[in-house]
Amino acid sequence: MNPTALFRVAGAAAVVILLLIPLASSELGGLGPLVLSGYVMHLAITAFFYAILASSWSLLAGYAGQFSFGHMAFMAIGGYTSGLIGKFIRFTTAPSELCTDIPLFGSWWLVVLNIRRVGTIDESCLDMAKTETLPAGTLIVFPPVWASIAMGLVMGATFGLLVGWLVLRLRSTYLALFTIGFSEILRASISAEIPITEGQSGLELVPLFPAGLLGFSSTSKIPPYYAMLLLFLVAMAMMTWLAGSRFGLFIRAIREDEEAAAALGVNIVRYKVLVFVITSTLAAAAGALQGHYIGIITPNTLIILQMSLVIAMAVIGGLENIYTASVGAIVITFMLELLRTNITIGPLHIDMTLWRLVFFGLLLMLTLRFQRNGLLYPILERISRGGVAAETVSIRAAPDEDEVDVEDEEHPPSGPDENADAEAVNDHAESDR
Amino acid sequence: MENAAIFGWALLWIICWGALGGVVTPRIYARKDLEISQASFGGAVIGAALGPFSLLPLWVATPKITNRLIGIAIAIVVGIFIAAFALADPDNLCVANGGFVISQLANGIVIGIIYGLMALGLTLIFSILGVVSFAHGEFYMIGGMVTYFISAKWLPGVSPLVAILASCIVTFAIGYLFERIFLRPMGSGEIERPTEYAILVTFGLAFFLQYFTQALTSAVPVKAQRFFPFPRAELPADSGALLKMTPGNVTIFDAVSIPNPRFTAAVLALLMLAALLWFLYRTWVGKALRAVSQDRQAAAVTGINPDSMNSLAFSMGAMLAGLSGASLVQVFSWLPQVGIPAAARSFVIIVLGGMGSLPGAFLGGLIVGLVEAAGTGCIPDATRAAAYIPAYGMVILTLVLLLKPTGLFGREL
Amino acid sequence: MLNLTANNIFKNFGGLEVLKDVSFTVEGPELIGLIGPNGAGKTTLTNILDGALKPSSGTVYMNGERIDTRPPYGVARAGLGRTFQVTRAFRRMTVLENLLIPAMAMRATARQRDFEKKAQDVLEFLTIAHLRNEYARALSGGQQKLLELGRLLMLDPQMIILDEPFAGVHPRLMEVIYRYITETNAQGKAFIIISHDMDTIFTLSRRLLVLNYGDLIADGDPAVVREDPLVKAAYLGEDEE
Repeated sequence: MNPTALFRVAGAAAVVILLLIPLASSELGGLGPLVLSGYVMHLAITAFFYAILASSWSLLAGYAGQFSFGHMAFMAIGGYTSGLIGKFIRFTTAPSELCTDIPLFGSWWLVVLNIRRVGTIDESCLDMAKTETLPAGTLIVFPPVWASIAMGLVMGATFGLLVGWLVLRLRSTYLALFTIGFSEILRASISAEIPITEGQSGLELVPLFPAGLLGFSSTSKIPPYYAMLLLFLVAMAMMTWLAGSRFGLFIRAIREDEEAAAALGVNIVRYKVLVFVITSTLAAAAGALQGHYIGIITPNTLIILQMSLVIAMAVIGGLENIYTASVGAIVITFMLELLRTNITIGPLHIDMTLWRLVFFGLLLMLTLRFQRNGLLYPILERISRGGVAAETVSIRAAPDEDEVDVEDEEHPPSGPDENADAEAVNDHAESDR
Repeated sequence: MENAAIFGWALLWIICWGALGGVVTPRIYARKDLEISQASFGGAVIGAALGPFSLLPLWVATPKITNRLIGIAIAIVVGIFIAAFALADPDNLCVANGGFVISQLANGIVIGIIYGLMALGLTLIFSILGVVSFAHGEFYMIGGMVTYFISAKWLPGVSPLVAILASCIVTFAIGYLFERIFLRPMGSGEIERPTEYAILVTFGLAFFLQYFTQALTSAVPVKAQRFFPFPRAELPADSGALLKMTPGNVTIFDAVSIPNPRFTAAVLALLMLAALLWFLYRTWVGKALRAVSQDRQAAAVTGINPDSMNSLAFSMGAMLAGLSGASLVQVFSWLPQVGIPAAARSFVIIVLGGMGSLPGAFLGGLIVGLVEAAGTGCIPDATRAAAYIPAYGMVILTLVLLLKPTGLFGREL
Repeated sequence: MLNLTANNIFKNFGGLEVLKDVSFTVEGPELIGLIGPNGAGKTTLTNILDGALKPSSGTVYMNGERIDTRPPYGVARAGLGRTFQVTRAFRRMTVLENLLIPAMAMRATARQRDFEKKAQDVLEFLTIAHLRNEYARALSGGQQKLLELGRLLMLDPQMIILDEPFAGVHPRLMEVIYRYITETNAQGKAFIIISHDMDTIFTLSRRLLVLNYGDLIADGDPAVVREDPLVKAAYLGEDEE
């Protein structure tokens, strides 16, 4: 079977399995001996959430070479936008006159609630309006969840555009520092503006689905499982399409050599900004969905350690491929939970809830040291490119004394590289101004 | 704040004219075919200083924008800022009470010296390896932890100097091992994008060290005793008007009060700074280090091994962070997470001072120390201000990166 | 018909004048050599024509359109391609992908498979067809140079600037590059070739530009330029081995 067909079959099988997993959940009675508790279903949802973040970060860092450390900030922008809309926006059939009223079509009004002071028991303006100004029978409608999530995406894209445009000139270390700065500013602002965001105690979000939808209880994990799975699959499908199209070709060229890409007609400004917009939107979508599923979002979701977690997932799986990054995220989410079991060896008692993260950090460092492309990516590479060397040899036209030994592809002989470097050095020394 | 509007308008004035100056000035200089490397930043600060009254003469005369001109402009901006604050809030402790102001300034300088020392380590690493270590805060944390555990738990009664020395040795050793095992292969030349991957691996180290310490020590805050309490003394002997010392505090002129732990920490930092300067400018190894930071290839040709300089720079940088932590563990209470804000502060300082510049890092440390002291002492609405403090530094960091990536003293890119 | 006009180009770096009042015109598929001692401003001039640097003053027009205000990708789309002094292949992309990038960048609606046939022809012309699915980093220095030339054919510009195409290349490869230049030129593309290799440049080019510390001191037939006393004094006397 040729590699492309193999990947298609494997992908289709994975999708079918993921779609069928809820059948084995304890809510539906399990599938024979396989019974997945609500906790496992919750882990699966969280795993998809991290998979979206890790794979979109891999598109940004692994494909486009933009090592941004502010990815979690866009996730939080999605979650907080959606949550704030749920907190402050209502639709009514009559003006409240006490809040900020914006007329919509027909007799509908969009009402922006007032910001209540901390530590007081101010009533919200709408509550007061109910008893004072609103005529009886006025309908008060919460904004639909899908609409507030959509606004979260729009905000994620807007900030992605802004950051992408601002960092056009910044590279490597400077880019890393700038994106961390952006993320920290956002975190501090969210923590400080307690009347709006509730600060450290967290902003509550309405549940993803109304209770009783299709007969599922409000604590059922099955509807949110499908919602997150759907987002994951859509995100993967979109990124697969992008990576295979001109977009993928150009951002990888930008990663390799920005100036050379520009000299060959690639609009580097457009594609660098675009990759930030796309990956930020995906992160925002994941954040909004996860926020509604968990029911609360706190500024702690964008501390540096959370960002390290996503980075580690992508790196351990394989940074330069969206699939290895997402599989890495899913596997690591489950691994970290499995490792919570404490170990007792004789007198030695190891509290694994603490030590698992130590081992995880060590694994990240060792991966970067010995398997820079991640633990899964080399396997993928072997399957998809295994035939290349043989093909090269078989269609080689004439013997070529300038040839490098292409058999040894994983470790290109240092000879030509050294020559190239030496040339480069000479060129630099000789280069005119 | 009584007349918050005054302050707000002054701020708006500064920002608007600064933005206009920053955008327009380089265009005018470019049109006249003059040097424009400083035009954007210079135009911004000159605009912020006196608005149209300074911008119009600048645009007409287009003088060469020197560091001196920029310095004067910055001084005027700071002056306007302070004046507006004083007008807006005349009852504030920072405006009404001179002694309080001087105390805050002295404390700001004292803490700024230690911040500067820590940032010096980071900038040393950057100037040699071209990488910002994201584990710098963790070395700071470990320096403090080792000092605390030796002086308070394992060997109580031993001189604090021994504990500090031990923390230096530990952080140096961890830094050395990490550089040899994880960073050196990145620079071997066969790896694409070595800087990015080196940053990632320091991220991994930060993650590892933080959780490792947490697993070992649990998350209870600890704090060391003051290392060297002052003797009791008064000068003149009866009133103490000139100088008054208690074990925990020193008061000069009855006005400036500095707590003992901060004072000893600053003295330690200054000693270390002197030792570092001696090392960098007087010893052969230090000169070799500076040579590598200026021109790697040229240094290699003269027989310096750049790889061993990498190891030395990284472990020395880690040790400087460790020493800062060791001297501050008697000032702040200590947790495994204590390194995160400290590292963030160091990033701000080295970006402000100019990445890779040693004097820049030290001056940046002083500035940040002073601003923090002013911020905690002067801003009304304390809870909200406290929540915003991490953000102020980051705003400076992002603005400097966007407007003048070379900082105050950085080399041209 | 191609027309490239550079008018009164000046370029300063800080206080240093690197180009002083350089003007010239290229009409039709000319084959031009650009020579000058180290520090003469050859690479700076290339970067200005390509849009990577902006001139301090002066203008560049291509077929009546002003291109010195455009970014490099705008200049590439206007029909000017260039190589770099140091080879700059996209190292972790396959040879085929390297070739597809310029072709795709030029046409907004194109699909990759539309260009695979053309890419195959280009690779065969450059004698590296067997490497099409290899990563560019697995290629030798000389093969990477050929790959860069191949990318320019896929970009299909009207004018090509080659910065030191013969530096550090062994003789057999030099033949391929020589053939590339003459055949592509015969198909109607103009060339400006920067080289230190005097013999090759004199036999290859039909017009010579000579830069000396920012001044364009000669412009004309190679045989005439060779005898120009200014050129002899400035360049040939000191640098010819």
